[in-house]
Amino acid sequence: MTAIALRMFDADLLKLRKKRGTLIWVVVLALAPVIVLFTVKAIQHSSNAVKYEPAGGTPGFTDGLRLLCLFFGPLAAVLVGVEAGTGDSSAGVFRDLVVTGRSRLALFASRVPAALAVCWAVTILGYGLVLLGSFAFASNLPTPDLALVLNGLGFTVLATGAVCVVAVGFASLTTSKPAAITALIGWQLVASPLIANISSLGKGRDVVLSQAIVHFSPVHVGDRGASVTMGQGTALLVLAAWLAVFLALGAWRTRTMDS
Amino acid sequence: MDSSSTTAAIETSGLTKRFGERTAVDGVDLLVPRGSAFGFLGPNGAGKTTTIRMLLGLTHATAGQMRLLGHAVPAERAAALQRVGAIVEDPRFHPYLSGQENLRVVAAVRGPETAERIAPALARVGLSERADEKVKNYSQGMRQRLGVARCLLADPLLLILDEPTNGLDPGGIQEFREMIRAMVEQEGRTVFLSSHLLDEVEKICDAAAIVDRGKIITQGPIAELAEGGARHELIVGVDDRERAIGVLEGLHQVREARRSDDGLRVVLAGEPETAAEVNAQLVSAGLAVTRLEPVRHSLEQRFLEITARLDAPAGDTHAAPEEART
Repeated sequence: MTAIALRMFDADLLKLRKKRGTLIWVVVLALAPVIVLFTVKAIQHSSNAVKYEPAGGTPGFTDGLRLLCLFFGPLAAVLVGVEAGTGDSSAGVFRDLVVTGRSRLALFASRVPAALAVCWAVTILGYGLVLLGSFAFASNLPTPDLALVLNGLGFTVLATGAVCVVAVGFASLTTSKPAAITALIGWQLVASPLIANISSLGKGRDVVLSQAIVHFSPVHVGDRGASVTMGQGTALLVLAAWLAVFLALGAWRTRTMDS
Repeated sequence: MDSSSTTAAIETSGLTKRFGERTAVDGVDLLVPRGSAFGFLGPNGAGKTTTIRMLLGLTHATAGQMRLLGHAVPAERAAALQRVGAIVEDPRFHPYLSGQENLRVVAAVRGPETAERIAPALARVGLSERADEKVKNYSQGMRQRLGVARCLLADPLLLILDEPTNGLDPGGIQEFREMIRAMVEQEGRTVFLSSHLLDEVEKICDAAAIVDRGKIITQGPIAELAEGGARHELIVGVDDRERAIGVLEGLHQVREARRSDDGLRVVLAGEPETAAEVNAQLVSAGLAVTRLEPVRHSLEQRFLEITARLDAPAGDTHAAPEEART
């Protein structure tokens, strides 16, 4: 069983790796903004060292981590997750996998680790660039200590992984790539910040995934990412609920749909 | 040997599929023997693909029972499909993967022993040379062949092929027919082939079921289907046609005799064996009989007779219920 699961994971990984168009966008979204951030800050600092602080150090690390984990990393995760969730259906291959007799739940389950593997491979590379920029352009500023570096890595894994898993589940539910991408990016970039800033919603805003994720940030995010304060338990509960609900919906749809 | 190797390859009873008010498949009883090529013949929209989709667990049946290779579906679906290969509608692939990579994906899902069948399967369908090319560059014929290769990964006892020659050129169709016959005759596999092309079923299959509007109209060996219910007719070649017609019209074994381009057409009143008696009477009347050949009715002719009856007003459809097996 483990051998089959590993082969299925490998096959799903192959499908994602070879989908060059999607992969290029994922790489661009995860790496380009970080490169641009440090490049611009470094140019600003070199042109006016009094007005602009060095690009790196802990402030640069904070900016880079925020950009990667709260804005562009999740977008990259959405692309990977949607591709994993809809790839077989949109190519019309799903029915050929079903007629092998393999359980549909197993077919769904193998998408998740493959999507996470691709998502994390790219976003961790992005995190490497954040670290590189933070240390390379630190100048006289303090640099992140080992604890912060490890916490930053953990936060990168959590923030992009959670969105990626939700995207796999949601895309498997809709089975439409354009619909899933539009809905998830719209939710991530527009709806989530909007809801989080409607103070009249009070504790209702706790259910927004990005707000729960921000709770685990090792750096101060400020009003550019966090609008809601919640307890550790609530944040964990919200995160677990999002993962469980969308995995269940994706699995249900994969198991029951006509193919 | 498979413990269920003596059972039918496909067996359905009362198989029904409804989409809301519309009944797409209506109480289908099918019996497909092992080791044969079985045609599932019917016009477009007759319910062929829906039946296949139910057999393969791609959609749920509204009612009825199914068994594939002796295993109940959907209860024992995994065991049933383990040795089944199928092409449903057009064979579809990930276009950005190579032929070989597409097979790797399916092999991974089928099980560890399947990976070693990839190269032989590609060789079997003549795609070894182009296995590393992306499928988006394949022609329709190559995709069909890759679809068959994908089926072969299961080392199938049963192949279910839905309109397999769609989009193939004449050469490709001929090649495909030969491959299917070889799979049946040399490898002992069972092929269940759905088609709306009568000629295709007649040339490839040993037996067939004719389906229309979700119902099986008749099923059996191709020759029996073609002859079933039809009159027995002979082509007779003689030296003196005029005198022969006079002799034939006096025989109680003959219902009708007339001239035709190829001699005389004689419709027998009884069983085909009476042809010998007709011949003896002609010879004893001093006529030289140069040809005595039964007219072979084509499946196409039979199919058109059946579907024409179904289209006729209610009062003219008396023959259809007697032939219907469902």
